[in-house]
Amino acid sequence: MTTESQSAELSYEKPLPPVLELTKPFWDGCREGILQIQFCNICDQPWFPPAEACPRCLQDDWEWRPISGHGTVWSWIRMWQKYFPGWEPDEYPYTVALIKLEEGPYMYSTLVAIEDKDVSCDLNVEVDFRKVNDEITLPVFRPSR
Amino acid sequence: MTNQPDRSALRNLQDKTAIVGVGTTEFGSIYRDLDPERSAYELGLIAFREALKDAGLRRTDVDGVIVSRLPHYGRMCEMIGLRHPRFVNVLPGEGRQSGIALQYAALAVANGMADVVACIYGNNGRSAGARYGGENRGISTQAMFEAPYGMTSPGAVTSMMFRRHQYRYGTTTEPLGHLAISNRANAALNPNAVMQRPITMDDYHGARYIAEPLCLFDYCLINDGGVCFIVTSAERARDLKHTPVLIHATSQASDITPVYVADDFWHEPMSQIADDLFTHSDVQRDDLAFAQLYDNFTPTMLFTLEGMGFCEPGEGGDWITPERIGLRGELPLNTGGGHTSESYMQGWALHVEAVRQLRQKCGDRQVDDAQYGLYACAAPLATGHILKRDNS
Repeated sequence: MTTESQSAELSYEKPLPPVLELTKPFWDGCREGILQIQFCNICDQPWFPPAEACPRCLQDDWEWRPISGHGTVWSWIRMWQKYFPGWEPDEYPYTVALIKLEEGPYMYSTLVAIEDKDVSCDLNVEVDFRKVNDEITLPVFRPSR
Repeated sequence: MTNQPDRSALRNLQDKTAIVGVGTTEFGSIYRDLDPERSAYELGLIAFREALKDAGLRRTDVDGVIVSRLPHYGRMCEMIGLRHPRFVNVLPGEGRQSGIALQYAALAVANGMADVVACIYGNNGRSAGARYGGENRGISTQAMFEAPYGMTSPGAVTSMMFRRHQYRYGTTTEPLGHLAISNRANAALNPNAVMQRPITMDDYHGARYIAEPLCLFDYCLINDGGVCFIVTSAERARDLKHTPVLIHATSQASDITPVYVADDFWHEPMSQIADDLFTHSDVQRDDLAFAQLYDNFTPTMLFTLEGMGFCEPGEGGDWITPERIGLRGELPLNTGGGHTSESYMQGWALHVEAVRQLRQKCGDRQVDDAQYGLYACAAPLATGHILKRDNS
């Protein structure tokens, strides 16, 4: 017998991110509806994707800090090629966007609550979250309200 | 750029070394003949044998080896019976490494670390089922922060950059079509090219999307093959079979970001390379008889032309016309058919084509008065060379 959430997990075939000690706070935050990235406690440099030290001053005195969740669409594509399992035939083409976060770093994601015909580069967006399973909630982006 | 260092010492390498032998496997016939047992080393071996023959050198003349996309130098050296090389290096199987292989070979020869360096590449990707997308490896950034959204493949990131270029400059896909059509027209004159049937703008616009806005004809082929080029000193080159092709100038620059793309479409690294090539050499853009531009995807050529100053940023779409880039044009591009039509040899076959054009042995696709030619690869790690026909 499986619980409802277990069967939802079993039916999710899209790639899931491996969670590391380094990246766990990122996913813990997403589960709580908080988007956070690393900031250097010495020089205040933010960075993403996660790394073991500040790329600017190379020190490892850093912390996860919530960010605004605001950004712009640097660019976006519609993926027609079937590279991964998990996307149903009627989900093609699916949209992938490269978000330029207000704080500076870039993040690949997808767009929700907008039709492709309305998407444009430099569109203002804000983070939203989509729960995948008990561990993973993916940050996605929607047009700014 | 502040504190631009003095780069004039680049001249120390000018015309000191030459490419004296080039070899490739067949491309077309093996494209139609998948072989799961075909190894990259075997393809490298065939190319090496051809390059030796082309140079008129003996196996025992070679004392340096640089391999790329081949996992280990040892197996390659063993297979070509090279037990005591004096200079060896292994480069990853990325296209941006082909120009770097030539740079290392030239540096090694010019500085006395080796006399004759063979640069060897083997690619059994098609037979091995490579898809160049959909990999979801271990704990990489790709697996953790891209694959969950279905983001994958070099073509998709290039498509991201091209969409941004469209937004910023109003560029259409028409110039990409011109590039794909021109590559195919050149390949039709290249008996070894994989794809030789000409295509039209209607074919281009009718092709299926892969990562929209890019379509099938914007993409490189996936095919098996091997390539080798052999480098020695200009002095020694003059005693060999062919007119030497000198490494007149070469340069490297980069823009390494976590997301591959660059907000300026690699203008900064490509303009740094152009500065090196055209400031610290005897050559200007007008002197080039052709350019072999890395074309993993057609927009990469557009970014290269803009970045290297053949036109202003944003003007590439208007600059690229069939008249200008064709074999009789002002700057013939990818005269052998490039990655989209000749063979996806990750820049290696573009080097071979440059050498053959400068030897003036390209038959129906020979460009006029080939004295100088350009190779350039725009990527996070970018390279460019000016190669020169030795008339001395």
